[in-house]
Amino acid sequence: MGSDNPAEKALILHRTRLSNPNFIFTHFSNSPDTNYSKLKFIISSSVTEACNNSVLLLGPRGCGKAAVLELVLDDLLKEYPDMITTIKLNGLLHSDDKCALKEIARQLCAEHQLSFSKVASFDDNNQFMIDILRECGLAHKTVIFVLDEFDLFAQGKQRLLYSLLDAMQSVSSQAVVVGISCRLDADQLLEKRVRSRFSHRKLLFLPPSAEDLQGLIKHMLLLPTDSSISDDYTTEFNARLLKLLEDGRCKDIIDTLSTSDSTFNHLIRFLFIAVCHMDMNLGFLTLENFKAALTGVQRQPKLECLKDCSILELYILVCMMRLEFREQESYNFNTMMKEYSSIRDSFKTCDYYARNVCLRAFEHLLQRELISLVDSRGHTQSLEFHPVKLLVSAPELHLGLKSNRCCPAILQKIIDRG
Amino acid sequence: MSKDKTPQTTRRTTRLSTSSPSLSNADAKLTKCCSTPHSLTLRDLVFGGEIFNADDLFASLPGRRGVILELIRLLGPLNSRMLPLFLYGGVSTGKTTTVLQMFRHFKRPFVYVSCRSCYNPRILFESIINQLLLHSKNEGNGYSSAKRCEKPSDFVNYLQDALGYVINGLKEKTEKLSLKKSLKWVKGSMVYLIIDNLELVRDWDKSLSILPFLFKLYDLLKMPELGLIFISSASPDTYHSDTGYTEPIPLYFPDYTEEDLRQIFLRNQSNPKLYASFLDVVLKPFSRVTRRLDEISTAFSHLFKIYCEPLEDQTIVPNEETKRRLFSHLQPHIAPSLNEIFRVPSVCSENRANKEMVKWKLSGNKLGVSDVLEEIDFHMSVCAKYLLISAFLASRNPATLDASLFDSTGGAATRKRKRKASEKSMEQKDIAEQELLMKGPGTFPLERLLAIFQCITSVADYSAEEEELDHGGLGGGAGDGGLMSDVLLQLSSLCSANFISKGSSCPLEGSTRYRCTVDENMVLKVARSMKFPLSKYLYRN
Repeated sequence: MGSDNPAEKALILHRTRLSNPNFIFTHFSNSPDTNYSKLKFIISSSVTEACNNSVLLLGPRGCGKAAVLELVLDDLLKEYPDMITTIKLNGLLHSDDKCALKEIARQLCAEHQLSFSKVASFDDNNQFMIDILRECGLAHKTVIFVLDEFDLFAQGKQRLLYSLLDAMQSVSSQAVVVGISCRLDADQLLEKRVRSRFSHRKLLFLPPSAEDLQGLIKHMLLLPTDSSISDDYTTEFNARLLKLLEDGRCKDIIDTLSTSDSTFNHLIRFLFIAVCHMDMNLGFLTLENFKAALTGVQRQPKLECLKDCSILELYILVCMMRLEFREQESYNFNTMMKEYSSIRDSFKTCDYYARNVCLRAFEHLLQRELISLVDSRGHTQSLEFHPVKLLVSAPELHLGLKSNRCCPAILQKIIDRG
Repeated sequence: MSKDKTPQTTRRTTRLSTSSPSLSNADAKLTKCCSTPHSLTLRDLVFGGEIFNADDLFASLPGRRGVILELIRLLGPLNSRMLPLFLYGGVSTGKTTTVLQMFRHFKRPFVYVSCRSCYNPRILFESIINQLLLHSKNEGNGYSSAKRCEKPSDFVNYLQDALGYVINGLKEKTEKLSLKKSLKWVKGSMVYLIIDNLELVRDWDKSLSILPFLFKLYDLLKMPELGLIFISSASPDTYHSDTGYTEPIPLYFPDYTEEDLRQIFLRNQSNPKLYASFLDVVLKPFSRVTRRLDEISTAFSHLFKIYCEPLEDQTIVPNEETKRRLFSHLQPHIAPSLNEIFRVPSVCSENRANKEMVKWKLSGNKLGVSDVLEEIDFHMSVCAKYLLISAFLASRNPATLDASLFDSTGGAATRKRKRKASEKSMEQKDIAEQELLMKGPGTFPLERLLAIFQCITSVADYSAEEEELDHGGLGGGAGDGGLMSDVLLQLSSLCSANFISKGSSCPLEGSTRYRCTVDENMVLKVARSMKFPLSKYLYRN
């Protein structure tokens, strides 16, 4: 039931591309000397030469470690069918050893069409894994273990890591262990006996540089010529997009984006929002879409919270800020109320409310996380005596007061005088 | 592959159930009716009901037009893939309502879970899988879930199977009918998973592993036909994690402005003009205190009744003169209502509060800050009241003063004459006051509490006996023996009511220390009800 509107088809195509985490990295698959080619070389050489290997992929979150590995594995599966078995584990799910071995056994059974028993014990699964490794080694098949969130596997006793790396030491096995982690010191977390069995090969993944960004955006947004969308629309769309990307203002937007956070994930989110804002009637991407996407993806939550505060809550924040200026180390609701009444006396404000109303507004501020209790353990005291601290700084509070629509002018005066 | 049995909850057989003979005819029929369960179909994944078009959507959610348009853009056309969304905003800003009404409009299948009713990971996982497998808990299967699922790894496997099953079912249905006509009750073959109240997950035991897992769920599943929507009342920067997590696309729900609140309140009113004139009067002062919808609406419902009191006919359209009359009737009630805005009155206390307010208005008080002095509106026994007063005194007074305050003459006879305060002592007084404000009430051991209690009750007995002779005796035998026997019992009930908090026992001193957590107003009310001269015993610098 597709519509005939080419803009809508283009939108669906873009959304599909952007939601697919691996698509953005196909841009790098052709250039040499990237992590993609290095990784492919390591794994393919251990497949062809029938040797064991282990490698760590390190880098900040959202830089494509898992995606590049997926691409490499897909390519290798096409090149060497029937010679590779992959087992994928994730530290978030399988950091417990029993769980991990059960999952390994399950995936091995699914791969080799064996029946999987869910009540097998840890030793049974362990034995099963060692047997399969031996069989695969004798049949010249390589088993590739992918350990995502590697640092979570390194917590506790590291039994799984030891048994995996130990199984690789035998002559008859052919296995590759690939660890993926966002902690750059992941190999320091390993125990001595595990680290000695680990070949210290590490590949570092970095966020894209500024030159790469332009190329990446073009790769993601340019419509392919061989899709079901009409050719006139495609050529027009691509021409307009290229012209837009050359525009200085657009370059400024992309620079602002990459200075705060230059990872691939951030870029993908930005492009997704921009593509969603595309006007269906117009049918092409414009600068306004990019501007809207920039505000959508770069949020200032504390400022938004301050804009939404009611006047009483702003008074409470200003009182606490004044107490901080006077360098009181700790203060609580009672001292704040004293300050509140002293403000009323000195500035003759009309907003003076009873104690229980102020206490409830205080609780609202705690809920909004603009203030917080200093130590949340030990709730033996009532809320009025708990020391609290401000979670917004003075410049943020100034900015918040200015942008709040219903903030009375006297509050600005009070906080300046403070 | 060995099949996993659905977990049967084991039930203990009681003597009654084993000993009861066969059921009577009526009972048998009843159980037969209940035993055929209402089986769920794919239709239950979609918001049922009439077609709900876009205009209705915008009309039912005033003030949310911009947010709804943004959400529609992010959800995208039918069957288009989506990155996970994260909707956040203050409390009671309509996040859940907006999302659910949007799915009512779009008629796309969705699964909704809230982390408030699913309060640990196991219940959360099982609830999602039950909804996807169209399994309902009923008597037939012993109220058990379809699959037992505790660990995230099992959850991911079951979820992939369940989603595959649902999506294939949806695709079959749409393909079968696409030639003849389009399905009215469901659109598309994507399933959306809505997880509400995500901020509560931060307080769970396993939150360090569950939160990054939930955020990464979309990447782990690798199923593009799933759309993930998170709803939270805390902003995304408050979700801390040591190693970071994959961030979803944020969308902010701002608080309602005054105009929005006015539109919301004017919906579904029987007499809109009357209510509009009411809102003109009250909305502005109340929105200075808070703009939270739930709190304002409770205050307004009470005030509107007062506002309409002078009107004989509730359906008239008020003109200027009527408006002024109603305003002057309402005005004295606004200020005290402002000061009590967060109080949810119970029915009987409402009547009492009304009477109190009328009395208070007649006494001609100024419209300013004054806490309405009432009686305590729950019952406490005499012994408990004395115990509370003694606990308060023990917390507030330093222990060294006990001897002078509670001597045999009933206290206050040997107070020192006031000397002129020097500057240094004034400073010290300030510092001491500051400390009192900061530290709060002090702790006391049980022996001190009992000693003060003895003193007070002996004095009170003495004066009570005099009164009894006048009144002809209330309850005989309220002597020392009668009161002391259930003191410890009363103490434990005061502790469980959180009037007195029990600290942990110090290993050096060996005994537990208590602390009175009641504020002075409450104790004043209690003392007044007992005719106890509290101010005489309270140590003030």
